[in-house]
Amino acid sequence: MVMAEEEESGVSIQLEFPKGRVKKIMALDKDVKRVSSEALFLVSRSTELFLQFLAEKSAQVAIEKKRKTVNLEHIREAVKRHQPTRDFLLDELPPPSQPTKPDRPTQPAGRPKLDPPPRGTRRIDLFFRKPELDDPAQAQPPENPAQAQPPENPDQDQAQSPVPVDES
Amino acid sequence: MLPQEQDRFLPIVNVSHIMKKVMPANAKILKYFINFITGEASNKCQREKRKTINGDDLLWVMTTLGFEDYVEPLKGYL
Repeated sequence: MVMAEEEESGVSIQLEFPKGRVKKIMALDKDVKRVSSEALFLVSRSTELFLQFLAEKSAQVAIEKKRKTVNLEHIREAVKRHQPTRDFLLDELPPPSQPTKPDRPTQPAGRPKLDPPPRGTRRIDLFFRKPELDDPAQAQPPENPAQAQPPENPDQDQAQSPVPVDES
Repeated sequence: MLPQEQDRFLPIVNVSHIMKKVMPANAKILKYFINFITGEASNKCQREKRKTINGDDLLWVMTTLGFEDYVEPLKGYL
């Protein structure tokens, strides 16, 4: 919304900020009792001048840093360079964003690098491979299938039978 | 057909939208400026036992606080 203020000469002065909003902001201070229309007009105009000043200085900083977009860091630098502005505004600006450093260097695109497996573990694809034997004779199956079975332990039955306990 | 003067510039709404994305804090900055100026003018009025802030109070405050560059342009509007 653009407010127009008439001068005595009849030339209208365009105010960029709505008077009502400026008055509300001024009234946030509890000590402010009354504000004349002249004072309200001057506050609005001076705010425009301040914004113009800040935009120009911020753009100047952006150009110095070879950037095409003005960001908050450029505004902060512009504020630091002007003592009166620094006195009231520097502490009110949001804190600078700290770039978070990754703990590890970023991996290139592709398969992620995994941690080495614990000692004693085998890759699962080894399970599906044929055993590679040096002696080809060992790879042939035995002629007698009975020999392929492990020999039975003759003491196995005794080992599995319960041992009588002498209760005396 | 001659183009209107406003047709030679970018639409203000679009410019404003970009500025809001670039500088989300600029509205707060202006609020702090208004509060700063008004607070000092209010203190001056209290010291002088007056209730109404007038234009001269603001011009005096701006000169005192280091914004004297604004005084001459603003005097032209009074």
